[in-house]
Formats: sequence, C-alpha cells, structure tokens
Amino acid sequence: MTIFLSSLGFGLVTASVLAIASVGFTLQFGVTDVLNLAYGAIMIAGAFVAYVVNQAGLSVWIGLLAAVAVCSAGSVLLNSAVYTPFQRRGTSPITMVIVSLGMTLIIEFSVQALAGGTSVSYAMGSGKTLRAGGLVLTVVQIVVIALSVLVMAGVHGLLRYSKLGKAMRATAANKTLARNCGIRTGRVITITWALTGALCGLAGVVFAIDAGSFDATATDIFLVLILAAVFLGGPGQAYGAMLGAVVIGIATEVSAAYITADYKYVIAFVALLVMLGVRPTGLLGARQ
Amino acid sequence: MNFYLINLLIYAAVDAMACLGLSQQFGVAGVTNFGFIIFQAAGGYTAAILAMPHDTANGGFQSYIGGWGLPFPLPWIGAAVVGGLIALPFTFLVGRRLRGDFAAVGLLVTAVLLNLLVTNYRPLLNGDAGLSIIPAPLQGEFNPQSAGYEWGFAAVGLALALGVYLFLRRITESPYGRSLRAMRDNDIVADSLGKNLLSLRTAMLVLGGAIAGLSGGILVSYISTWSPAAWGYAETVVLFAAVIIGGAGNHRGAILGAILVPVGFEEVTRFIPTSNNLPPNLIPSLQWVAIGLLIVVFLWLRPQGIFPERKRVIGLAGAAPAGRAGAWGWRRRALAEEARPETPVADGDGGAAPADGVTAGWPSSAVAGGAAPEAGAADSTGGQRDASGAPRRPSPLTGEEPEGDGGTGGLGGGTRSQAAVVADGEDAPVGLEAVGVVRDFGGMRAVSDVSFQVRQGTLTGLIGPNGAGKSTLLAMLAGTLPVSSGRIMYRGQDITGMPAFRRARLGLVRTFQLASEFKRLTVLENLLSAVPANRGDSFRGAVLGKRYWKDDESAAIERATVILERFGLEKFANHYAGDLSGGQRRLVEIMRSLMAEPGMLLLDEPMAGVHPHLARRIGNELVALCSEGMTILMVEHELAIMDEFCDPVVVMAEGAVLAEGTMEQLRGRSEVVEAYLVG
Repeated sequence: MTIFLSSLGFGLVTASVLAIASVGFTLQFGVTDVLNLAYGAIMIAGAFVAYVVNQAGLSVWIGLLAAVAVCSAGSVLLNSAVYTPFQRRGTSPITMVIVSLGMTLIIEFSVQALAGGTSVSYAMGSGKTLRAGGLVLTVVQIVVIALSVLVMAGVHGLLRYSKLGKAMRATAANKTLARNCGIRTGRVITITWALTGALCGLAGVVFAIDAGSFDATATDIFLVLILAAVFLGGPGQAYGAMLGAVVIGIATEVSAAYITADYKYVIAFVALLVMLGVRPTGLLGARQ
Repeated sequence: MNFYLINLLIYAAVDAMACLGLSQQFGVAGVTNFGFIIFQAAGGYTAAILAMPHDTANGGFQSYIGGWGLPFPLPWIGAAVVGGLIALPFTFLVGRRLRGDFAAVGLLVTAVLLNLLVTNYRPLLNGDAGLSIIPAPLQGEFNPQSAGYEWGFAAVGLALALGVYLFLRRITESPYGRSLRAMRDNDIVADSLGKNLLSLRTAMLVLGGAIAGLSGGILVSYISTWSPAAWGYAETVVLFAAVIIGGAGNHRGAILGAILVPVGFEEVTRFIPTSNNLPPNLIPSLQWVAIGLLIVVFLWLRPQGIFPERKRVIGLAGAAPAGRAGAWGWRRRALAEEARPETPVADGDGGAAPADGVTAGWPSSAVAGGAAPEAGAADSTGGQRDASGAPRRPSPLTGEEPEGDGGTGGLGGGTRSQAAVVADGEDAPVGLEAVGVVRDFGGMRAVSDVSFQVRQGTLTGLIGPNGAGKSTLLAMLAGTLPVSSGRIMYRGQDITGMPAFRRARLGLVRTFQLASEFKRLTVLENLLSAVPANRGDSFRGAVLGKRYWKDDESAAIERATVILERFGLEKFANHYAGDLSGGQRRLVEIMRSLMAEPGMLLLDEPMAGVHPHLARRIGNELVALCSEGMTILMVEHELAIMDEFCDPVVVMAEGAVLAEGTMEQLRGRSEVVEAYLVG
C-alpha cells in the first residue's frame, strides 16, 4: 500500500506537470488546427532560460517568470512567422506536421548547441518532506501541484466565463463563422498562442524541477506523454487534456511501481495508439 | 582514399534504397509513415540475428534472440521479409478513418516506443549496447577486409538499389501507380471511384517496409554493428528531408535527395575543421539545426523538390473506332448480379439515336475550352465514323443523322437493357431505394426517416433549401457517410453496410459538390483512373508489366478520347486537372464519373457555379444518358434546372422528405413553396 501511495504521489506531480503542458498543447491545436510538435522543444528552451537565470544567482522561481515570458513570445513568433504563412497557403495537415518537426529540430538543437550535451540541474533545495496518510511529498512538489491546480482553475475560468474564452472556443469551433460574428480571430489566435506559450514555458520549468536533471533532449519522451494525454481527452478539448493528464500521469507512475520502471511510459504509448485507432476524437470529443 | 570512396558508395546505395521506399510511400501514395526508420531497423536486426551465431558465442557478452548463423543471402532476404511483415500491424493507423496528421503522429510515437522497448529489454536484441560482430556476407569464403571484397560489396549494393529503382518505376508507371497517385491527391474521391484505400495503403506500407528492411540488412552487414542509437525517430526526419528536397513522388528525386542529405550532409561536415575551443557537441547539434532549416525552407520555397513529379503525357487515341466505346465512351456494364435479366442487344441494331433535342446545335461559345464547335454538336448519334475514320456528323442545324452503317455499334456499345425503352414511369424497376434512413451528428438530426425510391432510367432530382439534408443523404447513398439507422438498397441488394469503393464497383458512382479532381494528375489521367476493370490496376498487374496491361490501357484511352471529344476538352487532355477553370473541372468530374461505367450516378450539385449555357448542356447530356438506360439522382438548388431536366423530383426540408412528383405537381403544393420561401 505504501508503494502504491508513494507512487501515487509521484503520479500527482507528473500529472500536474502534464496537465499544464497538455492544456497548452491542446488549446494551440484547437484554435489553429496544427499539432505543434515543437512544443516539447519550446518547453526545454524555457527550462534552460530558467537555468541561465538560476546560474546568474537568482532563484529558480524568478527564472520561471523569465521562461514564461520568453516562451510566450517565442510561441507567438512561431505561429505568426511559420505556421500561419504555411496555413494561409493551404498547406496540408501532414505537411504542417513535417514543418513542426523541422521547427523542433531547429529549436531543440539550437538549445543543445548553446547549452552543450551534458545534463544540468537547478540550484534549488527540494524543501521539507511532508507526509500525509501514506503520501510523501516535498514542499517543492506540493508547490508544483498547487501551481497546476491554479492554472487549471484559471483556464477553466477563462474559457467558461470570460469574453476572450468564449472567443477562443468560437474560433476553435469554426474560424470563419467566428470572424463573421465579429470576433477578431487574428487577435484571438495571437493571444491564445501567447497564453499557451506561457503555459509551455511554465510546464518546461516545472518539468525540469520534477526531473531533477535535464538536457536538451529531455522532453522528447515527454512530448509523447503530452500527446497521449491530449488524444485521450480529445484533441482541442481543454478539459479533455486535464482528464488525460491525470489518467496518464497517475497510470505511468503507478505502473512503474509494479512493473520495471523502464517501461512505465509504455502505458502512455499504448493508450495513445489505442485512442488513435479506436476513438481519435478522444473520450470527451464528439463522436465522428 | 579508396576505402573512403567505397564507404561513400555503400552508404549512398543504402540511403538511396531507403529514400526510394519512403518516396514510394509518401510521394506516390501519400502514406506519411513517420515510423519509417522502424522498418530499416527491423531489417537490420533481422539480418544480424540470422547471420550471427548463437548468443553464447564470442564469450556470450551479447544476448539476443535468434542466432542461427545462416549464410548469405538469407539474412538479406529475411531482412526484406521481416521489414514487410512488420508493416502489417501499422495498417490500422493508416486506415480510412484517421486524419492524416494524427496517423503520422501515431507512427512517430510508435518509432519512439519501439526504440525505448528495444533499449530497455536487453534479452531481445542486446538493449542499449546493440549487436556487434555481425558477420559480413560470405566472410568464410572471402576476406572482408580486402579491397576486392569491398568493391564487390559496393557493386552488389548499388545493383540492388538500381533494382529497387526499376521495380518501383514499373509499379508507379502502371495504372496501379495512377490509382496510388489518385489516392494521394484526394483519397475520399478515389474511394468513391472504387479504389480500396486500405488495400492500397497496406500494399505500400509492406512494400516500403520490405525495401527499408533490405536497406537495413545491407547496412548492418557492412558496418557489422547495430544499436538503438542508430535508429532514433529523428533518422526518419532526415529521410523525409531527403525525399522532400530531392522531390517527393519522383524516384530520381529520391536518389538525389539521398545523395544530398544523408550522404552529402555527413560528408560536408567532415571537412569542417574541428577545434578544441568549440563545445564538443556543437557540430552535430548544428547539423540537426541545418536539417530542420532545410526542411522548413524547402517546404516554403520549393515544396515540389529539386526534381518535381513528372507530368505523365499520354497520347490520345487516334481515329477511335466507336465499336467498343460508343457515343458516350460509356458502356453499360454487364450486370450479372441484377435480378432482372438483361436482353442483350446485338451491336447491329445500333445507331438509332433518340434525338431528344440533344443534337440541336449547342452554342459553341458555351463549350468549355473552346474546342471546335462541330465536335460539340456532333457525336450524339453514336460517334459513327465513316470509312476513312473521320467522325460522321449530323448537320448541326437540322439534327439529321447520316446513315448508320449499323456495324460500328451505336450508343452504348455493350449490352443494353430494356430499361432504355422504359425511360420513366412507375413500371420501371427500382434502382436505388432508401428505407427509413436516419443520420445524426451528435445531438443534431440531419436526416430523419427518409424513404424514397429512384426508378431506373430516370433523371431524378433532389431539391430542398439549405440545410435540408440533401448532401448528407447523398453521401449516405454513396457510402461516403455511414447511416445512423435505416437501409439502402441498390437493385434489390442491401448495401447499407457496404463501403463506398465497393458500391462504386457495383456501379453506383457519385460526384462531389466541391472541387474533387485529382489535381496532380492530368485530365486524361483523371479519366483513366476511374476505369474499373483495368488489368494493370492491381499490384500483381503492375508487377507483370506493361505488356500485361497495355491492351486494357489502350481501350481505356480510346474511351477517354471519345468522352473528351464529346465534351470538347481533348485539348486539355494533358493539362493538370488542377489548372483548369471551374467549369472545366466540373466537366472533368462528370466525364470521370462516366468512365467508371456506372449503372447509376449520384450527382451532388453538378451545376453549382457553372455558366448557364454549360449547365444546360450538361443537363442535356444527362437526359440523353438516361434515355440510354442510365439512372441519375441529382441534388440541385436551381429550380429552373429541375424544371427543364428532372422528372420526378423529390423535395426535402429539415431532414425529411416533403413531397415527390413532377415539378408542376410540386409547384402546386403549398408546403413545398413554403419550404423554399421560409426554410
């Protein structure tokens, strides 16, 4: 039971990181119809921005703010300078994926060129270890979980109650119609990328915090977890991404306790492939 | 220096082979296989474990399955076979239902997953460390280090690459290859024309997998090691970059891409001076950045690649004997499965054209493409040719026909059923029937409990205001969309569960409302792609080569020529269909559907956005087709068109059938009038 509970604790942390990342990814897809596979690369770029700030002597949490800013701007740039021009040309979705893979290579290996190939870590303490029931979590881990819950609440509030959120949902549902209703879809899209880019940066830093040590290629596998969570919940569905993140995050960590840790990601992969094969619109998506 | 050159040649052969396989999948067939590297890896591992001794040999420091020490060429053959077999489980990802980019992501993820599994599960293939001391082919008989052996190895590798190139070229330049390209350009339309997408994609996955596997086997036998680091998912991206830059869909482009990217790139960076001041990882990282840049830049500036796909120029048939082709180039298919027996009419009876106003001179300005005016008015009577082979034409003014000689087969050369005589009326047998058909989209009911019949030989109209559910109903009749409940019967047979391509093969063919030509095929290729019974339109047929299928192909070209001349577009035969004007493309679509030898046509707004003269001309053609026994259900908006051509007409509104009858009858009914004014 203790093994289960402690792995549950890990699962909650992973789910938290995954939730922040997946919601950002799925909203980008919802509003732009592009699977931005460069998302993982931008995450790790954010992680390194925070690292640089951290190495300069400042706290990681300040670095986190810097990462959020940089990734937000970077994502807006990525969409307006790369994805939008291609889409305006009528590029097919498959070619867009290839473009995003190209951008992944550019971003990820630019980071690697600058940072080198060795793994690094943040200079931070993990804080006290707290126990509750059988759960064992450090303060930092609890902060991560709390951040995630805050972000989820914020996204929920944004989408449900704010005018911008409604505009985002409308644009995601039918861009032309939204535009004809007077919604400035161009601006909505830019703001969406700015917000999701911020989430991406945040996700990158908390990922790095959770991972302990990381290098430029650390998010390669994590991107698969994101995809699994997104497709489990339904691409474009923010609540689906949250649900998917919880399921995938907990499932991978709990399974690691019972089968060899090396294979813990296998569950995520299998879930993703099964969803793609059986129900590509996801659990919360509309049935085609 | 020699060794360096040999090295280069072998890598060139291996990469060229891999790129050819990828280009065939991606460039020709439109199957985006982001897991491509898995197949090369599988081939490599297979060749290794087939050639290596049992894993206790060499001190037992490796652990792996297999190890049967088989002699050359069995490891390479095994590599190709396994590469092909491994493709089979992937077919579920590339089946019809999944969006292209989703499928691509699934394949990418699979590549990462398999790499992870092999890395972590050591007993399988020695995990992260990989396999080493893989025996070179024939190393018992020859010295693998000798120059002669190395040259021989390179020669064999290059020969195999050449063989792959020739084989793929044979496949691609056949009618089967044309179907692959059609599927790539517009898979839903290809499906509706009778192409079995799943079977085509599976074949391409297996073929590409086998080629990739072979390339892996050759590589592994040369470098004598193989580990997961050599086949990360990023290697697939490199191959994609090579194919895109060289030119997707062009086999020579694939070879060029292989030389430029995997080979050229490596070599260029070899000459960059290394210095200790630079971080050790810099050059490899920048290599990857450069590949990413190349991909994005090329896709932006020159997506067709350095060697774009060639246009296939096909000569039109010369003096086309009308015997087999008939007036419309459309031959009623022998419908063995039909309940009612056909009364075959001997060709000698031919020639009698039901001149129902079709021959009256069409305004030649309306002829799209500005073809010779005579051609437009001419061939209604059966495309009869006189002794010199020139088409005999009725006078455009009076519509008189020249004497038929009877022997050259008049309208619709093949069998003609009695339905031609019973052109309309309730006694005609039922061609297509919808029984209680319902379609829901989430919470919305688009089509509710629709039942009606379409009688053979009629040109039935289906009208209704926007949102009435007409196109949805048509899609369900054609099989492009599944029904939520209800049944669809075609000539007495329940086809409700039948996929679209099978319905097309039965003779139920549809057209589409929006642009649906195969853009990167020429007009003539568009028409030829629809032909249902070409011997070259199967993998086996393609492999057997031109001699096997050229007769069927010539016959198809004849039919296509007649149809093109009929519609006045023969000048555009070798233009890309995507380059034509809207009205012309509409004609191409109609001609193409006729080439499919339909027994029944489902037309989705064929006149939409078409010049009124052209619309009338199309209407006249359709009426003439029906008088020959064709059945047509036409969805349309314009009441004027319904007035002129359709009888009977079905009215839909808000998902249900409102009324049925002739236009005059319908005009008198208030609910129909209201539906159009209000709905």
